[in-house]
Amino acid sequence: MPEMNIVGKSVLRPDAFDKVTGGKGFPVNVRLPGMLHGKLLRSPYPHARILRVDTSKAERLPGVKAVLTPSEAPKNKFHPVFFSPSVAASMVHDMLILSDRVRFAGEPVAAVAAITPEIAEEALELIHVDYERLPAVFDPEAAMKPGAPQIHEHAPNNIAMHPVFAFGDLEKGFEEADYVFENTYQTQRVHTCYMEPRVCVVDSDARGNLTVWSSTQHLFGLREKLASALGIPVSKVKVVRPPYIGGGFGGKLDISFLEPISALLSLKTHRPVRIEHTRYEDFITTARHPVKVFLKTGVKKDGTFTARYAKSILDTGAHATHGAVVLMVHGMYGFLLPYRCPNSKWEGYTVYTNNMIGGGFRGYGAPQAAFAVESQIDEICDQLHLDPIEFRLKNAHGEGQQHPFDPGFKLDTYRFADCLKQGAAQIGWSNRHSKGSGNGTKKRGIGLACQPLWVSGCVGFPDIYEHSGAILKLNVDGAVDLSMATIDIGCGQTTVLSQIVAEELGVPLEAVRMTYADTETVPFDAPTHASRVTYSAGNAAKAAAGQEKKRVLEIASSMLKTTPDNLETGDGRVYVKGAPDKGLSIADVVKQAESPYVRMVPDGMQRSSLQEKGTVMGVASLAPASNPSPATAEFVEVEVDTETGEVKVLRVVYAHDIGKVINPAGAEGQVEGGFQQGMGYALMENLVFDQESGACLAGDFLSYKMPTAMEMPPEIKSVFIESHEPTGPFGAKSLSEPCAIVPAPAIANAIYNAIGVRIRELPITPEKILAALGKL
Amino acid sequence: MKQIIHLDINGEAHDIAVEPYHTLLQVLRDELGLIGAKKGCDTGGCGCCTVLVNGKAVYSCMVFAMTAQGKAITTVEGLADGATLDPVQQAFIEAGAVQCGYCTCGMIMSAKAYLSSNGSHLPGDLEMRQAIAGNLCRCTGYQKIVDAIRLAASRRVETLAKG
Repeated sequence: MPEMNIVGKSVLRPDAFDKVTGGKGFPVNVRLPGMLHGKLLRSPYPHARILRVDTSKAERLPGVKAVLTPSEAPKNKFHPVFFSPSVAASMVHDMLILSDRVRFAGEPVAAVAAITPEIAEEALELIHVDYERLPAVFDPEAAMKPGAPQIHEHAPNNIAMHPVFAFGDLEKGFEEADYVFENTYQTQRVHTCYMEPRVCVVDSDARGNLTVWSSTQHLFGLREKLASALGIPVSKVKVVRPPYIGGGFGGKLDISFLEPISALLSLKTHRPVRIEHTRYEDFITTARHPVKVFLKTGVKKDGTFTARYAKSILDTGAHATHGAVVLMVHGMYGFLLPYRCPNSKWEGYTVYTNNMIGGGFRGYGAPQAAFAVESQIDEICDQLHLDPIEFRLKNAHGEGQQHPFDPGFKLDTYRFADCLKQGAAQIGWSNRHSKGSGNGTKKRGIGLACQPLWVSGCVGFPDIYEHSGAILKLNVDGAVDLSMATIDIGCGQTTVLSQIVAEELGVPLEAVRMTYADTETVPFDAPTHASRVTYSAGNAAKAAAGQEKKRVLEIASSMLKTTPDNLETGDGRVYVKGAPDKGLSIADVVKQAESPYVRMVPDGMQRSSLQEKGTVMGVASLAPASNPSPATAEFVEVEVDTETGEVKVLRVVYAHDIGKVINPAGAEGQVEGGFQQGMGYALMENLVFDQESGACLAGDFLSYKMPTAMEMPPEIKSVFIESHEPTGPFGAKSLSEPCAIVPAPAIANAIYNAIGVRIRELPITPEKILAALGKL
Repeated sequence: MKQIIHLDINGEAHDIAVEPYHTLLQVLRDELGLIGAKKGCDTGGCGCCTVLVNGKAVYSCMVFAMTAQGKAITTVEGLADGATLDPVQQAFIEAGAVQCGYCTCGMIMSAKAYLSSNGSHLPGDLEMRQAIAGNLCRCTGYQKIVDAIRLAASRRVETLAKG
């Protein structure tokens, strides 16, 4: 590899200056002249038919400009998930913008647009709704039983999806096993806790064209799903790319009720309408699905898998939305693919209940699977006295092998073994005590968990968009405008994509600026999800920069009277290869390209070459070549207070193979944040609902406990084992999700090592620990 | 009924018509366009709206604007001198403490309040974490935020030592 100047360096984020001085670019700041404020009236009941909505009093309130009821909303059923086509057969189409039947406490019934948020709020109280209450069910297993309340007509026993995947001969595999382990694991509902609330502003014109600003993870998905919900062509909707949004983590990967309702209110009033969620509304809008996983695993004495069976029951809440795909990813990438086993079967159930709707959340089904799989491996190793590292290596895929998901791909780079070995060395794995052996009331333990096979993007996965695009334009002062639909949700997409462009084009990082984009001006990009942007969008940015560089070299070769292959770029200049002083600045090349063909000079008119003229651009739209997997291993040390049940995480070591690391400081930051989300999941977070009324009991940050700086360990250490992924931009793969997937099982395994007690239900609260120790 | 109140914000006097129920956060954002303070929860739970009132870090969503009269209010917009950033802002950039950025301004204000009252003492890890315990961040795991506060503190101590 030639030496790189920008890729591989911990550069300062281009968006940081703006963010420390106020952060003007957040969608929550968008205000338009004449803008109205919308509010949603939400059902207090978890399951009810709406008999009558009387809006007359609300409409008479001064300042109210429109009230929207179910009878006025379009009647076409849609699915709201961004990354799949509106028509995808794998998605369940069960949503209406406003329905005459509500299926969870908080489902919108009507909406108001008024000149202030306070008036809109007051108007909600003046709307009278007659409900016919229906029996509700909150437990997915109860919902599957005969006689349970039916939530959707199309889903007998409330089963929205029941996928089954199998290969080999499961029965034979269990016969061949020396030992068979059967365990059940349960995860809870947790929220993404993005800090910027979901918000949108929708403007309309007299012909019904819509312009949308929104805190979203996908520009084109928002366009497509909003159009689908409203039953209008996609070209009627323009979505403007925010410079950045205040976090997403998967929680902004769909339209909710606020976008289509804002659109309908705008069309009705001919004014822009803004709806911003309260934090309570955010909490009941998207969450990681609770999943109950039953595992039955057959192993040989030496730890080789002979048979693996899993059954997963996922609570999707009132509508299927993400629940269908989360379940598939959970089964495939969470259970079937990470380890080799000739005889495997997985079956899953996406089950309707009268709980809130689940959504996307970093890991997308894998955290629920990893908690089960990685906990059970620890249990197997403990009982058979096998080393958990050797056990995993024995059953894992190896570098150079075929990708188990798609025969078209190979695991070109996959340093899983190195991740385990280096992580183990850093934490001091070989000094690990036997379980529960510490003295005193505070006991320490070390645990490990992996995410052996994950994705850099979704190539090969059914019904998921993957291609990316970029437009680059050079300015006469050498600045480069980079336009992409890619949304920066905080992970540093702007930084990494700018680095890739600067490196490829041969300009300083400061010369590149991510600029304006909307759905009418830039090529499609798939969402910022699935750990895909660095790899997939990075490839598109690199291709566009390569094309732009080619054009720079063509023009420069004409100016320097040489051939393009004799030239190179670097640090904002074009020069003869090996002779950096013989050349000119890229800005001069652009000036030549942008200047008039004929110039007046003192001696008369001077003609230049027509071939040198035209704006210097690069454009690319492409699908990535593969789906290369990062590799991840995590080791944690905990201290468990056996008197109080409290768990403190003392040390954390991650080892990752993410290919070439484009921005090391950014990558570390991702991992540190991933641990916080995983630790919250493991130990404290729980979006609790009342089992009678269906009301959310943890709808603010005072009752929903996510880790503050006080609970976090003093240091989270990241080891990056660099490989060079041949299909990635400058050898890069992606990073985001595995580091948030593995903490729960790593912590559960460390707790077991500390006190010899296995907790199979998240979150692992002090109460559960004390109960398991027989102290409650 | 709206009333005219006088607020001292970033050393500038403002006369603003507010409703009795308007919070300081609403007035800053909606009336004055000072959007550095963010609404993350509006219930005193996240810290995104943190500003300084008489040098102390407070949640501006928990303060009625009327009660802020006669007090010196500092928002993040009051820290930088043109393009020259406050040392805390600079440290947040350099330490990689900024990711999505939504909590950032509130974090900076809490860090600022803490460092300003901290004299010439070099803070320990626990103290720095306590200083931002009322500010939630979901991106960073707080590690690089603590690094940023440490960096700003060490520069401050160095500057004070030089006199």
